[in-house]
Amino acid sequence: MEILIYGTTEFSYLVAARLHHQHNITVLHDSGDLSEKFGNLDVSLVEGSGGDIAVLEKIEAKKSDLFIACSAIDEANIVACWTMKKIADTETICFIGKASLYKNFSSLTHNHYQTRYDIDSIIWPEQLLTQDIFRIISVPEALDVEFLAGGKAKLFEYRIKENSTIVDKSIKECKFPKNVLIPGITRDGKLFIPNGATSIRLHDKIFFIGTGVALDTLAADFFKHDRKVKTVSIIGGGSVGFMLAEKLEKTGIKVKIIEHSPQRCAFLADSLKKTLVLQGNGTDLELLESEVIAAADACICTTDNDEKNLLCSLLLKQLGAKRIITRVGNIQNYELFEHVGIDVIVSPKASALTEVLNRVQAQNVDVIALIEGGKGEVLRLTLPDTFQEIRLRDMHLPVNAIIGVIIRGHKVIIPNGESSLCPRDRLKIFSMKEDSEKIKNFFFT
Amino acid sequence: MNPRFISSALGIILIAFGAIVLLPIVVAAFEEASGSALPFLVASLSSLVLGLLCRWYGRFSRNFDALKRTEGLLIVTLTWIVVAAVGAIPFVFFGLSPLDAYFESVSGFTTTGATILMDFSLYPKSFFFWRSLIQWLGGMGIIVLFVAILPQLGVAGRRIFFAEAPGPTEDKITPRVAHTAKALWLIYLLLTLLQIVCLVVAGMPIFDAICNSFSTMAAGGFSPNPQSIMGYQSSTITWIVTLFMVLAGANFALQYKCFLKGKPRVLFTNEEFQFYLAITIGASLLLAGFLFVMPGGTLSGSLRDSTFQVASILTTTGFASADFALWTIPAQTVLFTMMLVGGCAGSAGGGVKVIRVLFIGRFLKREIDQIIHPKAILPIKIDRVTVPEDVQRQMLSFVLFYLVLMLLSGLVVTMIEHNATIGFIGTAATLGNIGPGFGDIGPMANFGNLHWVSKSIFTLDMIVGRLELIPFLAMLCPEFWTLGRN
Repeated sequence: MEILIYGTTEFSYLVAARLHHQHNITVLHDSGDLSEKFGNLDVSLVEGSGGDIAVLEKIEAKKSDLFIACSAIDEANIVACWTMKKIADTETICFIGKASLYKNFSSLTHNHYQTRYDIDSIIWPEQLLTQDIFRIISVPEALDVEFLAGGKAKLFEYRIKENSTIVDKSIKECKFPKNVLIPGITRDGKLFIPNGATSIRLHDKIFFIGTGVALDTLAADFFKHDRKVKTVSIIGGGSVGFMLAEKLEKTGIKVKIIEHSPQRCAFLADSLKKTLVLQGNGTDLELLESEVIAAADACICTTDNDEKNLLCSLLLKQLGAKRIITRVGNIQNYELFEHVGIDVIVSPKASALTEVLNRVQAQNVDVIALIEGGKGEVLRLTLPDTFQEIRLRDMHLPVNAIIGVIIRGHKVIIPNGESSLCPRDRLKIFSMKEDSEKIKNFFFT
Repeated sequence: MNPRFISSALGIILIAFGAIVLLPIVVAAFEEASGSALPFLVASLSSLVLGLLCRWYGRFSRNFDALKRTEGLLIVTLTWIVVAAVGAIPFVFFGLSPLDAYFESVSGFTTTGATILMDFSLYPKSFFFWRSLIQWLGGMGIIVLFVAILPQLGVAGRRIFFAEAPGPTEDKITPRVAHTAKALWLIYLLLTLLQIVCLVVAGMPIFDAICNSFSTMAAGGFSPNPQSIMGYQSSTITWIVTLFMVLAGANFALQYKCFLKGKPRVLFTNEEFQFYLAITIGASLLLAGFLFVMPGGTLSGSLRDSTFQVASILTTTGFASADFALWTIPAQTVLFTMMLVGGCAGSAGGGVKVIRVLFIGRFLKREIDQIIHPKAILPIKIDRVTVPEDVQRQMLSFVLFYLVLMLLSGLVVTMIEHNATIGFIGTAATLGNIGPGFGDIGPMANFGNLHWVSKSIFTLDMIVGRLELIPFLAMLCPEFWTLGRN
């Protein structure tokens, strides 16, 4: 696939780094601001503006299959996408970082206006992150939550705590409900795919895949939560904090939000209906204590500063917070956050990356979720018509991977060894990132 | 301060008013008594002459572009004082003393409805028509009327339009102030006509229907019947008047959008209107309860009288469907509480105004919340929009001034009359433009027996209350008069 990326932000690096092995990537960059690290990638680098039709003609942009505009300037991205559309009908993805602009595009009503914006998809990383956090909060106790097959199947991540009944038992021994699978376990920061004999240890983070009902039973039997989320504390009132508060408010959850800047506080207080807006520093222990921030059912640290998020999270943990969701800006910090014991780490870049990988469709395969900061993936693929029907126990995948969900027509099946695969089945496969290519090859050759 | 400007603007208004004073002659023509047209001719003539004199002093200037804010305030105040004086001239011809006539006239223009009349049978129909007409003119605001009908005022219209009712919100329906004034008068006129039709259908004589409708829509309270609405002895009429009083106490700009532009959401999602309805219903039910336990209380009767009386006092109309001066103390207390609230901003009602009460409620709640969350940013929102700092300060100081003035006036009148009920209830009733109070100044009694000093104070209270204090308070500042003299 020919992919043209405009811009040299950290995100364009991430996309390029993720895709340069399988696809031909050209990175278009404005003069002067090229970071060293692009040199390590197998991509071609061209200097010029994405809005310059001459440059696009010169690099034969019309041959590319996908155009991703992710420079730091929103307006430049929009213009670049339009320019691209003038040359050829290439699929365009445009990155936006301002709420007002995003609304122009995403609003359902914009079809009423005279002319449509001719851009295929708009990505606003912070909005995607907000959705991710919202989804995670909606399930108490869970560390991560992904919806598969339109919510008919779900992926939950739980941490095994001291008083759990399943510590040091093998997966076979645990009486997990039917229709639940364990596709992955993270132990000491490493993700692996278990088998029936794998035993569960204290502090493991375990993924469960299954139908909604089965997972609810699981949660009730093994993770003992029956309380709904009623209160949420947010530290950092940027775009994510604001949008999240807005969403939570609508579902009747009580929200407290701490923001440093008085002007931003005034904006938040004006725009939010019931949220309690507190002006102060998220690392101010006295404020955290007097407003009992840590007592909320979930605490979310979402300032734009990784150091501050880390410190806040640790303070809150010390104050006894039950669930902490922390935003990380720099993907490199992911491991550190993980290491010091922060349960849920989210990143706008990871959210956006999932979205982009979704578009980079090849051979009916796409990525619908990134797990553990991109170490694992949930792949979605549709079996070709020529596929021979086969029982799962007779099938030997070349690598460790788990078929989590089979969708046949409108039926959602959580498979076991007796289930079989038929042509045109749609599969959700949990695999390690480096193995995904092999899985694709296995099914499509 | 440029006296020629002010004089010229005032002159234009007086000449126009001179024409309006001729209206009761139509009623007088239907009457057999021939002499009843004379008072209005004299009043009209004096208004014209006075107006021309003012114009002459003002060099017939029509250029008001340089009008200052303080001059606008002065024009508004002078208009009310002088127009009320002209309006008092006919009353003098019917045998009232000059002070009583002026009291009655001011009570009419400010839509208060407090009367000094002791015997209603002495006067002709044109007299009662005039009383109701001046209320109707004052209800929407005489300035709004003149801005609507006098294009000569031009830019000055804008200044004085907002100076007349310096409410917390500047709601204009259209970009141009003269159009807004016309739209307001249109909805006002239509509602009045509708009420006249309703009352006639319900069996009220046409003359009484016109007069009562004029007084209702203005939230005034003058009725040609000495026993007010109680005198008609009809439940239907009582309920009709209740409905129109509630409308009179709601914001006319919003009603214009609701009824004439077909946007009912604008009215019903308005927080002030919602709160206004909530007060009306809540207080009515409470009062109905008190009336029901009184001897002889019936369910329908107490509900009818309580709703009527709450609407009447809340909207500052001052009609009576029963002699509430005879009610029990808890029932009277409910009504007194209503006196302190008043109508909505931009309505015909006076008083503190619902929106300020709503604001004060939220302000106090915020103070309490702030104790618990010292670092919280807690904006005060009305209609989902944060109230700006300066507006907050204005509303707060308005309520404070209102209470201070009420206390001062109440104390002075109490000393003169040796009666605290007259002093304080009377002040609340006149400063809030309500009309009747309790006790000796109840709905079936009158203000006629008061000392002349009390009458003068109440007269002042009415004007100050109608102009929402600010123009009056501004005039107390010495600099108001010297500003811009050099």
